[in-house]
Amino acid sequence: MQNEESLVRQAQQRNEQAFAQLYEAYFDKIYRYVALRIGDRMEAEDIAQQVFLNAIQAISSFKWRGIPFSAWLFRIAHNQVVDHLRRKAKRATVPLEESLVASDYDPQLIAEQRLDIEKLLVASRKLTPAQQEVISLRFAGGLPIAQVAKIMGKSEGAVKALQHSAIVALRKVFLVA
Amino acid sequence: MKNSEFENILDECLDRLARGETLEQCLHRYPEQAAQLEPLLRMAQAVSKASAILPRSEFKARARYEFRSALQVEATKKRLPLFSLKRRWAMALMVVSILLLSGGGVAMAASNSMPDSPLYPVKLATEQVQLTLTPSALGKARLCARLTDRRVAEIIHMACKGDVRQTELATERLDGRLVMLAVLVSAEGEEGAPKAMMALPSAPVPAPAPAPSPAPSEEAQVAGGVPAEANGRAELKRLVAYYAANGRLALNTGLGKAPESAKPALRRAIAVSEARYEEILAALD
Repeated sequence: MQNEESLVRQAQQRNEQAFAQLYEAYFDKIYRYVALRIGDRMEAEDIAQQVFLNAIQAISSFKWRGIPFSAWLFRIAHNQVVDHLRRKAKRATVPLEESLVASDYDPQLIAEQRLDIEKLLVASRKLTPAQQEVISLRFAGGLPIAQVAKIMGKSEGAVKALQHSAIVALRKVFLVA
Repeated sequence: MKNSEFENILDECLDRLARGETLEQCLHRYPEQAAQLEPLLRMAQAVSKASAILPRSEFKARARYEFRSALQVEATKKRLPLFSLKRRWAMALMVVSILLLSGGGVAMAASNSMPDSPLYPVKLATEQVQLTLTPSALGKARLCARLTDRRVAEIIHMACKGDVRQTELATERLDGRLVMLAVLVSAEGEEGAPKAMMALPSAPVPAPAPAPSPAPSEEAQVAGGVPAEANGRAELKRLVAYYAANGRLALNTGLGKAPESAKPALRRAIAVSEARYEEILAALD
């Protein structure tokens, strides 16, 4: 991919190819972030697409002020997720499957239990919204901590603390019946 | 150790794991915190792995088409700021106006224009209007298949002129048309969705093996000509197969004529065309 700043500037000039490259570069990451946040892979597809359709409308307002384009895009995604969650009815609590429970405590067993996305979606519902946000941006979105902090409007230290507590909480979810 | 110090170490190790370091390497850097770090890093690795999901391929194909259409509409809006009508119909109105005012002369002239011509946007807009006004998915698919022929001609024209950038742009447009054709085939068909759309080849591809067929003619027409009007899916398949073969022949002919500087771009166009047509014909089976 061309230098991202160059692509973004071209996209702001309505260069379709430049914007298409940005779409290909970020769509899957945005999708993963949304899927993990809302817990629904099908709805996440539509929301991710809406993020980019919104970006087409808003890209002329993007300014290079030390905020990477990815952070701006994920901010749009974050807002879409918040809107979606507000509209949804209160989520039912889904009991964890017994297969998530380790029979004996073993630090390696958790990783080797074939943790798949469905189990992760269920487990992440046990986290606070802020913890879910950090996990989704860091691991699903693949963003560095500095960008996560900008998107969440928190300090890097606060985000690192949330990250730590989120991982600890997820371990507990998989260890405790 | 303060919580914040441990959190910094944890974060640093997460970044290192993301960059490809092993868990053991990370733990080796911080032996005093290893016992506390290890279970957290393993959990994080499991979360990263589980998070590596992708959207459905059939969704992605439709989404790409929708996104590109939205980009085109937005680009049109920028060029036509005075129109407040719905964008599709604003474009249709512009093209119809051109036809009425010019007696069709401008649109006719535009239909043969190439990407470096000032009339080229009119050509694209006219095609878009035709697609918009075609009612059925099958009808749109037939039209789309024919329009790919124009893209191929444009690719060859620009490549023979040595304009690499325009050749690449024309290839992108060809790919866009073929993606649209795949989506229409899926929409029209009885069963399911098109197969996953491959990513475009990003690097220049090696020269294709020489074809065993006779030397291609100037017109590069496939024997048998254009199939009769495609009524139904089987006929659509014959139409698509015709344009696929015709396009392949034309592009390979162009490869023999294009300057060296344009050949990598032309080879990429051949690869894109072959890959997409293969997917579309498989979906039509």
